[in-house]
Amino acid sequence: MKILVTFKSVPDPYAGAGAAAKSVINPFDEIAIEEALRMRERGEATEVVGVTIGPAQVDEQIRSALAMGIDRALRIDDSRALDPYALARILYSLVTKEAPQVVLMGKQAVDDDSNQVGQMLAGLLGWPQATFVSKIEFLDDKKRARCGRETDSGIEVIAVKLPAVITADLRLNEPRYVSLPGLMKARKKPIETLTCEQLGVKVEPLTTILSISSPPRRPSGVRVTSVEELIAKLKEEAKVL
Amino acid sequence: MDFAWSDQQKELLAAVDRFVKEQLNYDMIENDRNAVFNHDAWKKCAGFGIQGLPVSEEYGGLGQDPLTTVAALERLGYGCKDNGLLFSINAHMWTAIIPLIFNGNEAQKKKFLPGLVDGSLIGGNAMSEPNSGSDAFALATTAVKKGAKYILNGSKIFVTNGPIADVLLVFAATDKSKGAQGISAFLVEKEFPGLDLSHKIEKMGIRTSPMGEVFFEDCEVPEENLLGKEGAGSWMFTRSMTWERGSILAAHVGTMQRLLETCIRYANERKQGGQSIGKFQQVATKIVEMKMRVERSRHALYHYGWAMNHRKAVYMEAALAKLEISDSWVKCCEDAIQIHGGYGYMVEYEIERELRDSLGSKLYSGTSEIQRNIVASLLGL
Ligand SMILES: Cc1cc2nc3c(=O)[nH]c(=O)nc-3n(C[C@H](O)[C@H](O)[C@H](O)COP(=O)(O)OP(=O)(O)OC[C@H]3O[C@@H](n4cnc5c(N)ncnc54)[C@H](O)[C@@H]3O)c2cc1C
Repeated sequence: MKILVTFKSVPDPYAGAGAAAKSVINPFDEIAIEEALRMRERGEATEVVGVTIGPAQVDEQIRSALAMGIDRALRIDDSRALDPYALARILYSLVTKEAPQVVLMGKQAVDDDSNQVGQMLAGLLGWPQATFVSKIEFLDDKKRARCGRETDSGIEVIAVKLPAVITADLRLNEPRYVSLPGLMKARKKPIETLTCEQLGVKVEPLTTILSISSPPRRPSGVRVTSVEELIAKLKEEAKVL
Repeated sequence: MDFAWSDQQKELLAAVDRFVKEQLNYDMIENDRNAVFNHDAWKKCAGFGIQGLPVSEEYGGLGQDPLTTVAALERLGYGCKDNGLLFSINAHMWTAIIPLIFNGNEAQKKKFLPGLVDGSLIGGNAMSEPNSGSDAFALATTAVKKGAKYILNGSKIFVTNGPIADVLLVFAATDKSKGAQGISAFLVEKEFPGLDLSHKIEKMGIRTSPMGEVFFEDCEVPEENLLGKEGAGSWMFTRSMTWERGSILAAHVGTMQRLLETCIRYANERKQGGQSIGKFQQVATKIVEMKMRVERSRHALYHYGWAMNHRKAVYMEAALAKLEISDSWVKCCEDAIQIHGGYGYMVEYEIERELRDSLGSKLYSGTSEIQRNIVASLLGL
């Protein structure tokens, strides 16, 4: 069984404020990669192929994914700010070419929080989808997958026929760190680059980002010296009591 | 000298930075108090690739050069507060793995290196004896050839990793009449008859690194476990000692960097007399001196690593690095306690432990006096 796992390069969400944000693999995508690797280690998957869309700079994150253990990587060379539909269409043509049984993706990227690519890709492919997944089990000799979905009201368990698109939530697993032997092996693994043209797909973003602004800075707090003062302030200034 | 990292080195060092954020430091206060070795963290480090840094890929290692290796260890020390674990790893790398790489025959390397790299085997080195410390080659343990075996008699002291070792490199006299030229080295495995590893020694610092006395009573060592040639022991020891001296404190350049950052944070946060204590010139000066020590130590370390990458004889650089880093580490710990006031003296703040851990660095792998002797003699004195 072949698994295609997608990942995006995002600014490190754990970098402290003010630190020069270095790029990392989107944390939810890292969880998707980890799950694919575990499927291979359990003997359920035979090949894990990683794909990302972006300019040459994202090769660093590709090498991290290779060092984690994916078998090979593809980069669709495109430096435009593409929207979810455009990304889903590119991935659609790639999935038709690679023909995996499962496409594993992060539920969303932490930079734009769109949470749409997986759903759109499943729609384009006409495949079932299991989103926000925190548990995956294969059934009937890998003809179906039983997935636990994290919803606001609890875990919804569904079964999807394969091939399917599955998107990973936070609690699916805890990704491994890159080991040095993994890193050395990754240096010998191929990174294949493709263009949209080579894939035969023409995409233009349908949405444009007009502006990005950071949330207003929280005004600094005040120190209170006694419980009485705190209660007074909560009553009179914050008006929450 | 060019210390600019290549892309591959940067990638490797970034992976270490990320690894050390993983759990290597749990239960530190308890483990120190009870002198508990963190075997789980040992295995994590091996799985990540630390023990195998200087070992060629053929034996499961990473084949990194000395400069990259010490830089990786520096990063490890920045994140890992378990100085005892770091010491055990260092003893294992420099006093067991390195002599094997240089002097082992193919069968010995195949037998031991993969396990020493993947963490399943723990190694160490038994040279010091009750009556021979700095004057190591005046040892009294003997090895007498009988058929296809050597019979070892005597005892060793201060053997790091002794109580948990699977294999120890033991130095013994095969020909007393030849002095240093009559010393040979043996790979002694823990199950060999006549070997007693059960005597633990309790220490002031690096308490999470097990240490023991080792006794040989007609201990039988098969001849294939002789490392190198008979009589080559002192030469092999001197050669691997250069690696040991230069590299063994690499991690603590990282430790000092961490202490420096801890002190800066504390000096900015702690207020006395209506201002941050960092605004007091005497406190600021201590921190500036810490910074100078970290930079000097790092430079001495990288200079040693660079010299190892480029030259054969690096006795001077290795001795200077050992001296600079050990002196600086002890002084940084003292200053860190002083800057933290009474809190620095309390166990909970985890700074007093650093001082206890640092002091041994002026003793092991040749005392500071011996390092100064080496530098003096290389200067023609
Ligand atoms: C934490 C720790 C771990 C160790 N691990 C190991 C290990 O794994 N394997 C092992 O074999 N050994 C190990 N040792 C032993 C270590 O190598 C010796 O302690 C060291 O070589 C000094 O020997 P000594 O303790 O007998 O002191 P001595 O040699 O008796 O020295 C006493 C004092 O005299 C000074 N002195 C001695 N000779 C001279 C000289 N020629 N010129 C000037 N001053 C001199 C010394 O510097 C010191 O101040 C370890 C020691 C420590 C503290």
